[in-house]
Amino acid sequence: MTLEVAIDRRLSDFRLNVAIQAAAGELVVLFGHSGSGKSMTLRSIAGLDRPDAGRIALNGHVVFDASRGINLAPHLRNVGLVVQRYALFPHLTTAQNIAFGLTGWTREAQARRVHELGALLSLDGLEDRLPHQLSGGQQQRVALARALARPVDVLLLDEPFSALDEALRADLRTELLRLRAEVDIPIVFVTHDLREAHLLADSIAVLDGGRVLQHGPREEIFRHPASRRVAELTGVRNLFAGIADGDRVLVEGLPLRVEPVPATAGPVDIAIRAERCLLRRFDPDGPLPENCFVADVTADLAFGNSHTLRLHPMGAGPAVEVETAARPYEVLGIAGRQRWVVELPAADLIVMPRS
Amino acid sequence: MNFAGITWDVFRVSAEVTTLATVLCVLVGTPLAWRIARSRPAAASMLSSLALLPLVLPPTAIGYYLLYGLGRQSAFGQFLIDDLGIRLIFTWPGAAIAAAIVSLPLYVRTTQAGFEQIDPDLLAVARTMISPQRVFWRVAIPLAWPSLAAATVIGFARNLGEFGATIIVASNIPGETQTIPTAIYDATQAGNHGLANTLAALTLLIGIVLLSLLALLFHRTQRTRQL
Repeated sequence: MTLEVAIDRRLSDFRLNVAIQAAAGELVVLFGHSGSGKSMTLRSIAGLDRPDAGRIALNGHVVFDASRGINLAPHLRNVGLVVQRYALFPHLTTAQNIAFGLTGWTREAQARRVHELGALLSLDGLEDRLPHQLSGGQQQRVALARALARPVDVLLLDEPFSALDEALRADLRTELLRLRAEVDIPIVFVTHDLREAHLLADSIAVLDGGRVLQHGPREEIFRHPASRRVAELTGVRNLFAGIADGDRVLVEGLPLRVEPVPATAGPVDIAIRAERCLLRRFDPDGPLPENCFVADVTADLAFGNSHTLRLHPMGAGPAVEVETAARPYEVLGIAGRQRWVVELPAADLIVMPRS
Repeated sequence: MNFAGITWDVFRVSAEVTTLATVLCVLVGTPLAWRIARSRPAAASMLSSLALLPLVLPPTAIGYYLLYGLGRQSAFGQFLIDDLGIRLIFTWPGAAIAAAIVSLPLYVRTTQAGFEQIDPDLLAVARTMISPQRVFWRVAIPLAWPSLAAATVIGFARNLGEFGATIIVASNIPGETQTIPTAIYDATQAGNHGLANTLAALTLLIGIVLLSLLALLFHRTQRTRQL
């Protein structure tokens, strides 16, 4: 592991206690709402905030160890930092901003490095501009170039794209994915944007109230949240209380088969993502297949390329939110009928310990 | 030289005292203001109170303490005079020290405000790349320079007008420690209203020039902030 963080910080009204790791070339997303401690974690790694206890090692170098009294100054830690509002030095040109941290380099070496990064981040022709003469997207590219100019052991990104508009954000995300392949260092990316987290992350640490609730590969976080809170934070809309018994979980009077078989019996939390729920045509005379129940549409929210439907059960079963893409919505003719059969596929149901 | 009863010595001494006092202000006040701006709230308010102390004291009281501290009555004064051969009482450098102490709060306040306006994100990013000392020279000074310049002008003006502490520490010796303000005092006491009038008019002129300079700097500050 080239990034190892285990820190504890006590403030009067907040306690941060997190442990995260990342390998070279791995992009780890610190995901959480504001106030969850994700930015403070980043600042601690950078040395801008001092934890009360713990240890931080970057590329094998211990930069902080409370028990041994080690606390390296930020500029000795070899970190590259990019913040939300670019923070370019307003009195310096693009080239001077990029070369800012290259103290002790010869003029030629600095110029060469600035040129390399300009090419890497498509900044050609902007070298002599001042920050206020650059667009938001260009400014953030310069900030990235500046953070990567020195040979750093970790790249720290604190909500770097949230001040940009949607189209630019998409461009820069793609750019970051390309960049990640070229720099062989761990990247820590702080965000509260679920879609961004899913797009960029190799692994995700879900933070809430100063603690890491779950830390693992992206798919694991999204497919197998460890708790009700993680499921909520990662955008799961359907969360129910249930009673597990063998491979069945009883939810609102409806026995649902689940895969795999839950490890424990008794009270559990059970969840399913809105986009994993299926709708079938209702046939009053036909049999009701496994994991299906009858429900009426009570709300239909159109988001352009998708619809979110709220359905209320007509008997046993939970009230659910179902997300369906615009095309199947039209093919099925959902707008014209109120009564549907909802299927909750066994493999898409997530069973978690009751919290 | 002599014009309308004015000896040019008054201007020479005033220029010397004011320049040295302003230099002292900048040298002591700038790092102090930076330290206050960067400290945690508790430490900052303590340092800040200390820096503001001369503002709440009568200048004559400051002069009195200096007279005692730099003169032979105190151990420090004896050390200065007997061991180092530095005599500050009744000299123009003594007057400059007195003026610098009186104007320090104004200089520090103005400079500190300039440092506090720097985006904390800029300083954070800078700190991850270069040493704190370099952050001061390469980020803080260039970004706060309009405030620093304004503070220098304000300090200069205050130093030029210093009277209370100066007259106690350096007295009012024509050609040696007599400055424009003490000369005006002297002229008024002696009933020389023509001289007092001329000197006062000159200070008015200098004051207008300094205020114009300040207005110009303020305009610059506004523009820099918009960028």
